[in-house]
Amino acid sequence: MNAVVLDGARGTECRGALAALQQALAEAGHTTEVIPLRERTIAPCRGCFGCWVTTAGECVIDDAGRQVARAIARCDLLVYLTPVTFGGVSSELKKAVDRMLPDILPFFARVNGETHHHWRYQKSPRLMGLGVLPRPDREAENIFKTLIERNALNLNAPRTAAAVVTPESDLRATAAALAKAVT
Amino acid sequence: MMAERRALLLIGSPRGIGHSTSDRLGGRVLDVLKEHGFLTEKLHVHAAMASPQELESALAVIGAADMVILSLPLYVDSFPAPVIAFLEQIAERRIGAGRARLFVIIQCGFPEKEQNATALAIAERFAAEAGWSWLGGVGLGEAEWQHKDVARALAPVAEAIANGTAIPQSVLRKAMPAWLYRFGGNIMWRLAARKHHATRSLRARPYAE
Ligand SMILES: Cc1cc2nc3c(=O)[nH]c(=O)nc-3n(C[C@H](O)[C@H](O)[C@H](O)COP(=O)(O)O)c2cc1C
Repeated sequence: MNAVVLDGARGTECRGALAALQQALAEAGHTTEVIPLRERTIAPCRGCFGCWVTTAGECVIDDAGRQVARAIARCDLLVYLTPVTFGGVSSELKKAVDRMLPDILPFFARVNGETHHHWRYQKSPRLMGLGVLPRPDREAENIFKTLIERNALNLNAPRTAAAVVTPESDLRATAAALAKAVT
Repeated sequence: MMAERRALLLIGSPRGIGHSTSDRLGGRVLDVLKEHGFLTEKLHVHAAMASPQELESALAVIGAADMVILSLPLYVDSFPAPVIAFLEQIAERRIGAGRARLFVIIQCGFPEKEQNATALAIAERFAAEAGWSWLGGVGLGEAEWQHKDVARALAPVAEAIANGTAIPQSVLRKAMPAWLYRFGGNIMWRLAARKHHATRSLRARPYAE
């Protein structure tokens, strides 16, 4: 499988987790592209819906956000790597996630008894979330896992898995378990 | 004399002041606070994040606020990226810690208001980490379709915020059943595309291999 890792680190906080993740994905037989988002200039989504009603699947803003949307459209496995931020994802990760809207179709559909959209491409990617916390925090961890589940519903992801690690965690074991869960 | 109380409406939609549902709804709450003697001000988060200077002056305004109403659209089950970036700055620098009180209005495009639950949990976590007191929040669905009703329904919520009493649970009625919303919405997207002569490319796959 072809995996895309959106690296939403704001500093060095996700370095160990990224190394473990890359190793686990390679061992599971995936080819992996890592996108270090803090090094990419990606303007915020303007909320104009131009990607739905005027420019058909492409954002009206011509910057690295388009390359991210293309990589996501073509991958089999989408991975969020992020410091857990108020229980959610970091601003660095979110700037890319918001610009994923072009890969989604405007039409509403019923999924799990709720309204969602269909994925624009033939196959939705699977979704993995790996959050990094400086210390164990059950509440933040629960919010994070719920968020990944909710995102998976929005992307119609056929499989999803999420975990949160702290400096005490066994990074290799966690990354390997995540890779297994989505393979 | 009672010290002046400052209320700030933080608009977290890229559409900004005057053009977003977030502004229309948050503005309604701000109006009520003004009637209750609050000094009121509006601030657009995306504009604040546009440059370091804008950020510094926005943070100064936040630091002086007693009451912050954050009104924003749900973006992929959470906040638009610049809102997260702004809140990261506030929490890291302890702006408004021990002073600011936060009320949040989150509205989404889907008809089910429950879809805002995760984002509301994130907002509450932000308040805890920033040292702000959490007054609560409302999650609204399909707000764009019925925002006049919603704005009216927010009045008692705003009264409670102003008076410091318990915030009533949402009194909103559902505008229409979800299936009808989806049906109507799908027609709306087609009409919008037709305006741009893009009906045929609505399902285009520019990134297919
Ligand atoms: C990038 C993006 C992501 C969105 N994600 C969601 C979502 O996850 N759930 C939802 O119900 N609506 C979603 N919406 C719809 C907006 O929440 C909705 O259109 C909102 O009313 C816009 O408010 P505003 O005018 O204040 O910007 C999304 C819109 C955009 C542009």
